[in-house]
Amino acid sequence: MSQYFSNNTNSVNAAINVSHSYIIADDRSQILTWLSPLDPRLRHQDIRGRRVGNVGEWLLQTEGFESWCTGSEGGDSDNTVLFCYGDPGAGKTYIRYKE
Amino acid sequence: MERKGQLLTGRDVSSLVVDSLCDQARKRNLAVACFYFDFANQKEQFPTNMLGALLKQVVGGLAEVPEEIAQTYEDQGKVIGGRGPQLGDIVKMLQITSSKKPTFICVDALDECLARYRVKVLDSLNQVLQKCPGTRIFITGRPHVQPEIAKSLPGRVRSVPITPRRDDIIGYIRARLDEDTTPDAMDNSLEAEIIEKIPDNISEMYV
Repeated sequence: MSQYFSNNTNSVNAAINVSHSYIIADDRSQILTWLSPLDPRLRHQDIRGRRVGNVGEWLLQTEGFESWCTGSEGGDSDNTVLFCYGDPGAGKTYIRYKE
Repeated sequence: MERKGQLLTGRDVSSLVVDSLCDQARKRNLAVACFYFDFANQKEQFPTNMLGALLKQVVGGLAEVPEEIAQTYEDQGKVIGGRGPQLGDIVKMLQITSSKKPTFICVDALDECLARYRVKVLDSLNQVLQKCPGTRIFITGRPHVQPEIAKSLPGRVRSVPITPRRDDIIGYIRARLDEDTTPDAMDNSLEAEIIEKIPDNISEMYV
């Protein structure tokens, strides 16, 4: 008899553990959705899919980019922010004009 | 093909940087978060949504949701009707996650963010940097937002122009010449002349 109860208790505990982990997983996705409804990773996948070859990869090898990436912390001019500026339309318009 | 005729856009640069950082994140213990501003979605890209989306990516990469974040959610998300996170809460939560591991934040086309939102976004990023100096922020945009960035993130900004480089332009022209439907009209000396002269003229346009 006690063996019977013990077995049942174990399976009940197992069931509780399973449902507990479901709650945690569920909470996690709810928390992520609560933080923001936007999903920039999807936009990133879209943009990288339309990128042409390795155009622009030189930027990753510049001293400016590398020191931003690996630079030391703190200081008055710590360069923790890298701002790349340009007029994205210019190249496109010029090339089309020449066609 | 939509992309025919384009050389290099700010979005290309941003997505290259994000991919490069994600590669590094696999080797080093980094967090990477990106955001692409867009004229078409200006209304939904307000500061809490934008910074919340950065935090969401960082938290999504952690094995567990940090206790402080779960607690903030318990306190606010589950009140009757639910309440979204406040900007101050998001900044605090970003400070917590960024102090746990080095965080790289990439923001594309800041000029496409509404001006009144831009101030709050930059100020929030500055608060994260103040608390967690190991954080790195990459921003692209048109030159006119540069003074705002320099003002909101004083002493932290290095600016680099994005202009097509000669080898980018040559690679681009070669690719287009390969698509030529009348190759007989082209001989080697004409091709050499095109590749020699066009990049020079384009470079002048960007000076």
